[in-house]
Amino acid sequence: MTPRPSRLPALSLPAVPLAILIGVVLGGLLVLVSGGNPLDAYWRILVGSLAPANWPDTLNWAVPLVGMTIAAAIPLRGGMVNLGGDGQLAIGGFVAAVLPVMLPQILPEAIALPGPVLAALAILAAMLASGLYAALAALGEVRFGIPMLISSLLLSYPAIGVTSYFVGFPLRDTTTGLSQTAMIPEGARLMTISGPLNIGLLMIVAVAALVLYVDRRTVGGYELRMRGLNPRFTAYGGVKPGPQMLRTLFASGAIAGLVGAIIVLGSLYRFQDGALLSPGYTWSGLMAALLAGGEPLGAITAGLFFAALQTGGFAMQRETEIPRVLTMILQAIIILFLAMRHGVGRRG
Amino acid sequence: MQMVELETAGIVKRFGTLVANDGIDLSVARGEVHAVMGENGAGKSTLMSILYGMQAPDEGSILLRGQEVRFRSAVDAIDHGMGMVHQAFKLFNSLTVWENVVYGREPRRGPALDRRAAIAQVGALAERFRLSVDPTARVGDLSVGVRQRVEILKALYRDARILILDEPTAVLTPQERDGLFDVIRTLKADQRTILFVTHKLHEVMAITDSVTVLRQGRVTERMATRDTTPAEIIRAMTGRVVNLTVDRKPATPGAAVLDVQGLTVGTGAKPVVDKLSFRLHAGEIVGIAGVAGNGQTELIEALTGLRRPDGGRVTLSGRDVTEADVEAHRAAGLAYVPEDRAVTGTARAASAADNLLMGYQRKAPFTEGLRLNAKAVAEHARRLIGRFGVKIADETVLVGTLSGGNLQKVVIARELTHQAPLLIAEQPTRGVDVGAIEFIHAELVAERDRGRAILLVSAELSEILALSDRILVMYEGRILADLPAGAADEDRLGLLMAGRTGQAA
Repeated sequence: MTPRPSRLPALSLPAVPLAILIGVVLGGLLVLVSGGNPLDAYWRILVGSLAPANWPDTLNWAVPLVGMTIAAAIPLRGGMVNLGGDGQLAIGGFVAAVLPVMLPQILPEAIALPGPVLAALAILAAMLASGLYAALAALGEVRFGIPMLISSLLLSYPAIGVTSYFVGFPLRDTTTGLSQTAMIPEGARLMTISGPLNIGLLMIVAVAALVLYVDRRTVGGYELRMRGLNPRFTAYGGVKPGPQMLRTLFASGAIAGLVGAIIVLGSLYRFQDGALLSPGYTWSGLMAALLAGGEPLGAITAGLFFAALQTGGFAMQRETEIPRVLTMILQAIIILFLAMRHGVGRRG
Repeated sequence: MQMVELETAGIVKRFGTLVANDGIDLSVARGEVHAVMGENGAGKSTLMSILYGMQAPDEGSILLRGQEVRFRSAVDAIDHGMGMVHQAFKLFNSLTVWENVVYGREPRRGPALDRRAAIAQVGALAERFRLSVDPTARVGDLSVGVRQRVEILKALYRDARILILDEPTAVLTPQERDGLFDVIRTLKADQRTILFVTHKLHEVMAITDSVTVLRQGRVTERMATRDTTPAEIIRAMTGRVVNLTVDRKPATPGAAVLDVQGLTVGTGAKPVVDKLSFRLHAGEIVGIAGVAGNGQTELIEALTGLRRPDGGRVTLSGRDVTEADVEAHRAAGLAYVPEDRAVTGTARAASAADNLLMGYQRKAPFTEGLRLNAKAVAEHARRLIGRFGVKIADETVLVGTLSGGNLQKVVIARELTHQAPLLIAEQPTRGVDVGAIEFIHAELVAERDRGRAILLVSAELSEILALSDRILVMYEGRILADLPAGAADEDRLGLLMAGRTGQAA
């Protein structure tokens, strides 16, 4: 009758401040050793992310990062891992960049779609395409027994490669020397709120609210939560494991596709090879989701924190000699210490 | 006056706020068989793991032959002459008996393992204690009873003076159990001391010399076996008088609810479930007896939709469910108490309300469109907790904190409340304390009287005999016998479970 340690809620005080403190101290030492001033560095991070004038920057960075956090948290809530975020992001961005340019060319002249309708279609198509692509990874496990951890990651590479080929050759904007598509018509771009912020922010807020609601109040959310706690229990209780996995991955992929579409329609206005992936939203989002064990509110909070940290890092790099990778080191140390405290992935 | 071999004084062990052992004094004489009894959660396992060096006590001391000892590890305890046979054997199935026995203490000749000496030593040891084991046999080929002897040999090879047997009879047929008792008598004659952990009363009465009873981490009674009665032991374990027999009227079977024809699971010459056929009627309890591993698990998986059968036909309430999944089985009228409440029957890190909702979440009044009606969910949980007497603060508490018996009540409450025509109950009282057993048995009989068809799978023969109206004996994937309850007794079932039809008929 040895009581087993029950899994702790992944984000709880006072472990979080403690981990942050340890990260800050170790990161500070690192700055000190390399000849910088830690206090100055941290002050720049703080000001760069949290001073009211810089909120738009932080929020703008948070939109894709929190979006990808949610995309990772949904399957994680049910004990599944979607490692294919990059591929789904690329597909979503690609579809959203190509559709507003191509669709008016295909349709007869008489049907001139208004810009917002074009944008809405582009977003829906991006979500559908990425959702189906993610569901393909689930199908690999359900049908052929390929662990989804592997199939989702491996399917990511062809998606990145194929979009890269299209933008490099058949769909390349030949007026520029870069691998990028033609600019999307102005009417189809997302409406600006202020500064860098556009209505993509509202979409992610809406998605976050919807995910929280589904998680807490609906049948599907209940079944997914239970699966995450004990998949044998839900299978025994009559929840069909295969369709549940397909649904979950579709939702996860669709949100990744939405993030891709928001970046393309809201700030880049075209699909540039690699531009969606280089900031590493997928992996930061996965970390944030892992930290909270897939619990949506905790994951979103962690995603916001990482967004602030990374935005502050840019400011620090601008203002001091210290490179912004310091914030990535901080992020890693905090994750490590939280994982230690909570035994993420502990047996039993 | 006999010499005292092992003594503990004021052993205390805490896990967080839970006090698993609360000042335990134990005194075991040399050469006696000493029973340690108690309900689940009484602290038996904790005490044994302390005596075997796997855990250190927070307070108190252990005295071995009058000397205080402090075990740093199980290896240290073994060096002090302790031996333990765990409930789940710790053997290498792909190795031979002698390899398992000498593992870690091999006789050597120079740098090499002295194979011949090892076999000779193990053989001699087996003969001396009348364990009748072939040292060169592969462990994986041996029956459970013989594997247990290999475990005992392992301890004796390390010259264990005190042998802890943790629920040793749980996996044995009655005949194998009698064999074990013979071994215990031989050991006793050699002045070895046995600590016998169990909650089976008749075994305590049959083999032990004295009894220590634990309740909630404390010793409630120390008795000489010959001066006590089962009723007295139960009172010490539970603090009250418990009814050991199940009151029930004869069954009045109705229409067939479950019809199994030629069911086969597995392929090849010897499928795990081999063209099995039987019928189960409304208002009867049919028990499936058999030594674990004779296809019961696979049969139940096929009957519940967790696994597709490889042949045959299953009809549930007139619907062909042979190829159906779990959801379709449940829709056709199945409730199912699974073998392992913690692994399958519950999500331990979820609340009681969430656990009690499983299977109802897509039915009225719990669902409104896609939304869950939180109020209905909570009311449902409170009603079940009250009706089945689950000891829990409220429905929001995580079920991982509950004792085995209470956790089982959560599963039973949920499944019985489905009021499905067919109830499959697999090991419904395994590892559950006496009070909860009494309650669960009464509930099962009440369900039968309400006209449900109940299929009972149990490793506990006394349970099969107490509850069943008809008994099917499973052996190597087949039904070896279909007996009315009146024609069955422990001896006859035991022989059938060992596959011997001739002697049983």
